[in-house]
Amino acid sequence: MKRIEDIEKMSPEELEQAAAEAPVPEGLAGRIESALAAESVGQPPIVIPVLARKRLAQKSAGRLLRGSIVATLAAAAVAAVLILHRPAPKDSFDDPLLAYQQVEETLQFIAQKINEVYK
Amino acid sequence: MKRIIVFAALLLSFIYASAQDGRHIYQKYSDEADVSAVYVSPAMFRLIGRIPDIQSGNGNVNLTPVIQGLSGLYIITSSNAEINGKLARDVRKFINSGTYELLLEAKDNGEKMTMYTAGDDKTVSSFIMLAEEGSEVSFICLDGRLDRSRLEELLVAEAR
Repeated sequence: MKRIEDIEKMSPEELEQAAAEAPVPEGLAGRIESALAAESVGQPPIVIPVLARKRLAQKSAGRLLRGSIVATLAAAAVAAVLILHRPAPKDSFDDPLLAYQQVEETLQFIAQKINEVYK
Repeated sequence: MKRIIVFAALLLSFIYASAQDGRHIYQKYSDEADVSAVYVSPAMFRLIGRIPDIQSGNGNVNLTPVIQGLSGLYIITSSNAEINGKLARDVRKFINSGTYELLLEAKDNGEKMTMYTAGDDKTVSSFIMLAEEGSEVSFICLDGRLDRSRLEELLVAEAR
């Protein structure tokens, strides 16, 4: 593989020889001929490979976007489930009578606070 | 892509904000040092509802109808200076994110007590009390479906 500096130093003869030795892609001659023929009758040159590349790029970008949306929404759904699903705390009382007394005391405490405000 | 991430973040913040409730606060602070915590579950309230009518301490109020409407009681009392500020802040955040309205507020010599209710004109679905008294902060949350007038009558009667 030649470097750009080497190519720039080459004479026109050397460049011509290098071009003659370089491998030519298959069907290149046909594509050039058809492009030239189309141009000569006023039709746009054949650009199918470029369009195909663009379409492929658009398709893969679309797939990537869809994948990102699904991944983001899935992550948000998992996070939402983790936030909303919390185990219930353990009851402080086993005896309903003791629990009743606690509730009664709590209501009395609230009432006492209200009473203090209106005193 | 950025819009989707922002949307997901906003959605999560909304879910997190709406998930702030008495249980969340209870679970966050109940195991901390110098914090006493009481929880009465809906199942226990159902058991209490089966107890025959019991008169309250001063003998003139029947608590049973009110207690039967309750489905959860959360109490956090903190005398931990580091926790007090955080607890009060979290309770206010929870109040502001919900549909609570101020029922009563009293301030005296640096002490502050606020009560909030959620629900409508006839029913109370949640009652919150936050008392900041010196080195102690108390949070009480009563959840359930209570008749508003009955609850108010009860609290006034208990206050006599």
